[in-house]
Amino acid sequence: MNKAEIIGYAQRVAEEPGPYVQQWKEEKNVKMIGFLLTDVPEELIHAAGFLPYGITGGHSRLSLADVHLQTWACSFVRSSLALALDGKLDFLDGLIIPQTCDTTRMVLGIWQHASPLPFLQNFRMPRQVERPSARHFLIGEMARLKASLEDFSGSEIPEEKLRESIKLYNRNRILLRRLYAFHAKCPGVLNAKELYTLIRASMFIPREKLNKLLSSLLKIIEKGMQPAAEDRIRLIISGTLLEPLDILDYLEEGGAVVVGDDFKNGLRYINDDADENSMPLEALVDRQLKRMPFAAYDTVRNKRRFFLAKMAQEKEADGVILLHLKYCEPENFDYYDNIKTLREAGLPAMRIETEFGTTSLGQMRTRVQAFLEMLGGEFYD
Amino acid sequence: MIKPKPFKAVGLMKELMDKYYLEGEMSQKKGIPVAWVTAVFPVEIIYAAGLFPYYPENFGAIAGARKVADKLSMVAEAKGYTHDLCGYARCGIGDAYADEHPVGKIIKPDLLFCCNTQCGSLPKWFEVAGRFYDAPFFLLDAPQIDDEIDELCERYFTLQLKELISFLEEFTGRPFDYDRLKEVLRLSGEACRLWNEVLDSAALSPAPFNYFDACIHMAPIVTWRGTEEAVTYYRVLKEEINERIKEGISAIPDEHYKIYFDHIPLWPKLRWFSSYFAQHKALVAVSQYTHSWAYSFDLNRPIESLVENYAGEYVNHCFDYRVQLKIDFMKKYGCDGFVLFSNRSCKPNALGLYDKRKIISEATGLPGVVFEADMSDLRFFSESQVRAELDPFFEQLSFG
Ligand code: SF4
Ligand code: SF4
Repeated sequence: MNKAEIIGYAQRVAEEPGPYVQQWKEEKNVKMIGFLLTDVPEELIHAAGFLPYGITGGHSRLSLADVHLQTWACSFVRSSLALALDGKLDFLDGLIIPQTCDTTRMVLGIWQHASPLPFLQNFRMPRQVERPSARHFLIGEMARLKASLEDFSGSEIPEEKLRESIKLYNRNRILLRRLYAFHAKCPGVLNAKELYTLIRASMFIPREKLNKLLSSLLKIIEKGMQPAAEDRIRLIISGTLLEPLDILDYLEEGGAVVVGDDFKNGLRYINDDADENSMPLEALVDRQLKRMPFAAYDTVRNKRRFFLAKMAQEKEADGVILLHLKYCEPENFDYYDNIKTLREAGLPAMRIETEFGTTSLGQMRTRVQAFLEMLGGEFYD
Repeated sequence: MIKPKPFKAVGLMKELMDKYYLEGEMSQKKGIPVAWVTAVFPVEIIYAAGLFPYYPENFGAIAGARKVADKLSMVAEAKGYTHDLCGYARCGIGDAYADEHPVGKIIKPDLLFCCNTQCGSLPKWFEVAGRFYDAPFFLLDAPQIDDEIDELCERYFTLQLKELISFLEEFTGRPFDYDRLKEVLRLSGEACRLWNEVLDSAALSPAPFNYFDACIHMAPIVTWRGTEEAVTYYRVLKEEINERIKEGISAIPDEHYKIYFDHIPLWPKLRWFSSYFAQHKALVAVSQYTHSWAYSFDLNRPIESLVENYAGEYVNHCFDYRVQLKIDFMKKYGCDGFVLFSNRSCKPNALGLYDKRKIISEATGLPGVVFEADMSDLRFFSESQVRAELDPFFEQLSFG
């Protein structure tokens, strides 16, 4: 396959995963376990012999969820539940919900009644991560999740198998990070929408297949490497979820390049690897504990604001755009301190509110343009 | 408007609450550190360590009741905290930045303690406050449990209580006083026992006491739990209830139905709701909210007991457990129907109510309704909308 074919394939999978998923399930004769984004240890699902499937939210028929969930629950969870109610997730045999906030905490029971599945589990992450008790608990919780998967599959996960899955996922993350770095250098060859589409598609496509695709893509594009136009505005984008992807087009129109982010469906998904030399379960625990900060995870010190400022400095960013998913409380509580810290570090920053399905694109485009203009960009429309 | 006969004990309660706030303000002068705590936090440990526990949620409720939650909230909103957040948090953050303090100034913490059994908003709010007031913040993390508290959570919570005690020892420079803890636990357990006896009187027909009374008389069980004051207060209140039973004084004039109400009241509309239910001859007998303070401690196993009570608090349980809990309350209090409040401030209690209404009605045959509003912010209250949601329920009740 050439570059266009690989990216085209990823795009089609990301847009309408259903038929592809059905095919993979049949080919391999396996069950599929979904998860809400993204702190679920996919390696465990994979090692148990299942296909993991990241539910990335949807854009239409959100109102299907209205009889179960108030409209002031975040649109990521509402649209994900709506997908299930719309039959768009019928291929799932199970679901794991990471407990990141009150909405995820409550939706498990609702899901169980609204769209029952034979396997439905919470993944309970500790909310303080610095005291020794956190690691202690997470080891137990990881073991509990593993046992529940073993129970569902009917066989134990051999340690060797889990090691292999960890290697496979690390390999995948390395490839995606290479693509990420490539984009920052040569956005003209691999644009932002293409990059994030690849990340999104990687939440669906079986890892073995995906790694082959990504490797060939890298081979092709790295050959055609050309230096970036120097006048691009370097941007960090930050938030819970990158949504909608259209914003990436507006950024590029305005002469910007994305050099970093912390989205659950962006860099945060691929940034941290598990140590291949530790005991596998503990390696997964330690990976989780040291992951990129996120508003709903370490709720004691908001390390994220410094993390963002540091990332911006390291990546020589000119500004930061905070995409705030409406009704996402953890994110909202941090906003004031985040923007304050960024501005104190001399970084221009702005916030844009987004929602699955209903973001006003026109308005978003205007605001992005105004921000980039302030940063000194040019427009090509 | 139907006005209930006020309890004499209200006088004592006002005195107690004034004393509570005065002590809070005096504490720092007297060299007693003020510790912010959440409603479902093992406050017994804080008392035993010799600190003064202050409940900012209570501040939020008062701001709601005095109808100024929107004003305080708008100060927070100007900083970028949106009106979708929990109203208590908005009031607390708003007051921190406000120039005017319509319900007095929130007391500045020397340190902050939060247990997230209740929700994820409290830890985020306290985290923000910890930075604002530049005070250390300790989070007691309570992962959700299914029916029974599992070993994993039990161990985790126990470890954290030990971490908490070390943290306090370091802060105060004194070894932790386990004897004092036992004494505080005894007082706390005793107040809870009395409080629940008070609540139980709403099961009598006609009842001398109802949910709206409970919303007023719960202040001491929240703020004074763990002290003599709380025990004395609920003894006095219980006696008065016994007198009322003897004299045949009932909470509402013409009780025909008993209702289960979920969950928190609408503080700025407490009177309105109380009168509205009374007009419909409906006595609100029970709510899991007022029953949150039902702790009982085994003084021989203080730490284990704290774990069971606080990590195992009902709000921390899964969906089905909480459905069953509501059904059990309805049975115990002989309810004829139930009203569920979809409170935009409080996702952990509001999300899931649509399905719960259906499931409970199917299981019990009782009529039920969900209505929408906010517990403290009148910008999200529409009387006509609430009537449109509740009126048909009462019609159904009277035909049923
Ligand atoms: S963390 Fe935010 S985006 Fe994620 S489920 Fe919770 S509210 Fe929604
Ligand atoms: S009202 Fe709900 S969200 Fe707000 S502090 Fe209380 S439990 Fe938390």
